[in-house]
Amino acid sequence: MTNEKNTLVTDAKKHGSVLVVGGGISGIQSSLDLADAGFKVYILEESPAIGGVMAQLDKTFPTNDCSMCIMSPKLVDVGRHPNIELITYSELKEVAGKAGNFKVKILKKPRYVDGEKCTGCGICIENCPVLLQPQIPKKPKEAPSVRDQEYIDKLISKYSYQEGPLIQIMLEANEKYRYLPRDVMEYLSSKLDISLSTIYRVATFYKAFSLEPRGKYHIKVCLGTACHVRGARNIVDKVKDTIGDADEGFFSLETVNCLGACALGPIMVVNEKVYGHMTVDKVDEIIKPLEDE
Amino acid sequence: MKRLSNSKELEKLRKAIRDGRDPDKPIVTICGGTGCKASGCKHIIEAFKKEIIKQNLQEKVDIRITGCQGFCEKGPIVVIYPSKIFYPMVKAEDVSRIISETVVKNKVIKELLYVAPSSGERITYEDEIPFYKKQTRTIFGSNNHIDPKNVEDYIAIGGYSALAKVLTGMKPQDVIDEVKKSSLRGRGGGGFPTGQKWESSSKTKGKRKYVLCNADEGDPGAYMDRSILEGNSHSVIEGMIIGAFAIGSNHGYIYVRAEYPLAVEHFSVALDQARELGLLGKNILGSGFDFDIIVYQGGGAFVCGESSALLQSIEGKVGEPRAKHIHATERGLWGYPTVLNNVETWANIPLIINKGAKWYASIGTEKSKGTKIFSLVGKINNTGLVEVPMGMSIREIVFDIGGGIPNNKKFKAIQTGGPSGGCIPESLIDMPIDFDELTHAGSMMGSGGMIVMDEDTCMVDVAKYFVEFNLDESCGKCSSCREGNARMLEILEDICAGNGSENSIPLLEELCEYVKETSLCGLGKTAPNPVLTTLKYFKDEYIAHIQNKECPAKVCKALIFYEINSKDCIGCGICAKKCPVNAISGEKKKPHVIDKDICTKCGTCIAVCKVNAVRVKTGGKK
Repeated sequence: MTNEKNTLVTDAKKHGSVLVVGGGISGIQSSLDLADAGFKVYILEESPAIGGVMAQLDKTFPTNDCSMCIMSPKLVDVGRHPNIELITYSELKEVAGKAGNFKVKILKKPRYVDGEKCTGCGICIENCPVLLQPQIPKKPKEAPSVRDQEYIDKLISKYSYQEGPLIQIMLEANEKYRYLPRDVMEYLSSKLDISLSTIYRVATFYKAFSLEPRGKYHIKVCLGTACHVRGARNIVDKVKDTIGDADEGFFSLETVNCLGACALGPIMVVNEKVYGHMTVDKVDEIIKPLEDE
Repeated sequence: MKRLSNSKELEKLRKAIRDGRDPDKPIVTICGGTGCKASGCKHIIEAFKKEIIKQNLQEKVDIRITGCQGFCEKGPIVVIYPSKIFYPMVKAEDVSRIISETVVKNKVIKELLYVAPSSGERITYEDEIPFYKKQTRTIFGSNNHIDPKNVEDYIAIGGYSALAKVLTGMKPQDVIDEVKKSSLRGRGGGGFPTGQKWESSSKTKGKRKYVLCNADEGDPGAYMDRSILEGNSHSVIEGMIIGAFAIGSNHGYIYVRAEYPLAVEHFSVALDQARELGLLGKNILGSGFDFDIIVYQGGGAFVCGESSALLQSIEGKVGEPRAKHIHATERGLWGYPTVLNNVETWANIPLIINKGAKWYASIGTEKSKGTKIFSLVGKINNTGLVEVPMGMSIREIVFDIGGGIPNNKKFKAIQTGGPSGGCIPESLIDMPIDFDELTHAGSMMGSGGMIVMDEDTCMVDVAKYFVEFNLDESCGKCSSCREGNARMLEILEDICAGNGSENSIPLLEELCEYVKETSLCGLGKTAPNPVLTTLKYFKDEYIAHIQNKECPAKVCKALIFYEINSKDCIGCGICAKKCPVNAISGEKKKPHVIDKDICTKCGTCIAVCKVNAVRVKTGGKK
């Protein structure tokens, strides 16, 4: 007890410097506060750059502020602060000593670049002859079968008159296959020079696209407000119940927001056939005969 | 058809079409809108065609398949012109009589006429039906006279004369001034003054400019845009060309929902016809002005009806809204100045040019001019599209035009503005409807959906429905909308399941404020409206759910139970037979009983019972 008290009080043994482990937003903020208060601060960061998770975010909850707008001034402050020294791409190996007087061992990983002189311009990455940098290898794309290739080429030329034709092409392809097969998306990606991830994003954003084949009988139940107040929810439950034990690929159910035939609600559509004024009772009458086929 | 090289040729063509038509020749018009299609008008059309050939009347009678005529409840609708005799809900077996009696001998078939639900009286003529009588059908009325696939019909009623007027005698600024003077406000929901929008775009310099039509009508319960496109595409095209001329644009797009195949088809046909006549393309009517329109189909995302998301979607990207520090009128599609207006707004333009801003501004209220088409749906007798001047009261729309609530139920509320709007209670039933009054009441105009709710509608359930809708349609860009709606839904689900607590309502109110204040686009900013208005006007229902564990409207499944009234039950056993979970038991010809532990409240027994012996009761949470 007395010893501890001594170490805290005796000025001679205090170093006046701080090691902050982790260069995320909290590490950065505490370093700045400490450095402003006059301490010498070392920031230890495992990855090659500070910033952490927040630097990867688009926005912050609940105010929806842009996270980089909050972060970047702080990053610059850290870099320019005379009291802060960055130790990046390094790991903490050992901590010894007591409060006020610690001794740490740090493993600094090799960068093969003089950190003092590097400005981060990126020219070396572009010109590296052996491509040792992180890069996604360009895989040869599996081409769809010849007939499909022709079909999609035709679609592409059909919409070539407009800029940004991706969605129109995908709509037609989706209608033909009843979903968007992966090879079609890959082929589109190579032909239109749009990354597969962008195409995937579009395919999952819009409701018209499906990544799984729809059933032989695709059932749509309208859940628009007019149908809802007339009890469409019960119809959905009933349909789910009825098609529950049918073979896979035979039925598929989708709920849609308003088919615009509100006078006839609740509405159910099987493939293209519209059934108006639906009741729970009618569901069996419509679906059972299809099942027996 | 020959290409028209100037406006005189257009007038010549109009005269030739009119002269070639005999005004006394009977025309059988059959509504071919989506509503009537779903009621089976296809068979009726075929039956008429066959019957006319059978009776050898091909030369004497015309058939016209029109777009939506509005009275969808009574479809398929047949109107015989020029006498305007109106037959609702026509069946195939009536067709031969209609031809031989009404068309040939001009005799009315009494038993097929429309029966007014209020008086029980049979009404012969279209314009005497209360549903139509009280309306002012300036935009929508022409649907009855137009075969959407026949441009001649549109020209015959004066189509493209506004365009000719603009191209021959007006400067772009004159057009903008005229629209500004008319005080036309955008019909898509926000109600932004159209003239102002055009002006700011026309003042911005750009290599290119775009004119866009927003036909991504996503509001559930609203289908007037689709009906205009299906029934009278040319009016929208004409409006767009005039708009393009006013701001100096040569490129147009129309963004249509993929769920509206018929609208896409009719609009594309109309575009081809307009191109053929030289009303679109290079050098329109010899004026040196070029303009063309591309049809762009949406992928089914509600948020794409929002202007900035729509632009993103046309650019082939994911439809996420962006911040509007700079308006689309200055930097929109592909970075060029863009004017985006709703279908109905475009359809108003030719009228304003033809009849003048003064005439237009004479209709409506002080700050909302002109007429508005509403889709009157839900618990209402006359479901359909109604076009009324701004400022008509809810009471007039619901009871005079809509014919009141079916089965003499009590009117509870009217929901306007789709998922962004709110519920207006019975106490405000005499409120005049215009942009500002609705906003004042906590709702909004939206695209014009009006969903009528009666005593059997649970307002908590309605709020839950809309939050669910918004959650589903939120693009996920703003965390407050994405997460906030999810949390709101959880609270509402708890309330509907009878697990609400005292904190639920304050928490809900707080969340609503957050979501409203911190979302980027209109979807998020208005998402809490349905919750806020139901909380404002129907708090007692929330309290009933939370404190008494009751659902007064008997909707929320966790708070209700089914019972068979032993006095009414005749013991026919049909409910026991149909019950999917075998929860009903009883001897033949004796009152049956429902086992509440097994019952899933699916509603089958109510649907099949012939004597209405099954009752729904509330307050029985176990």
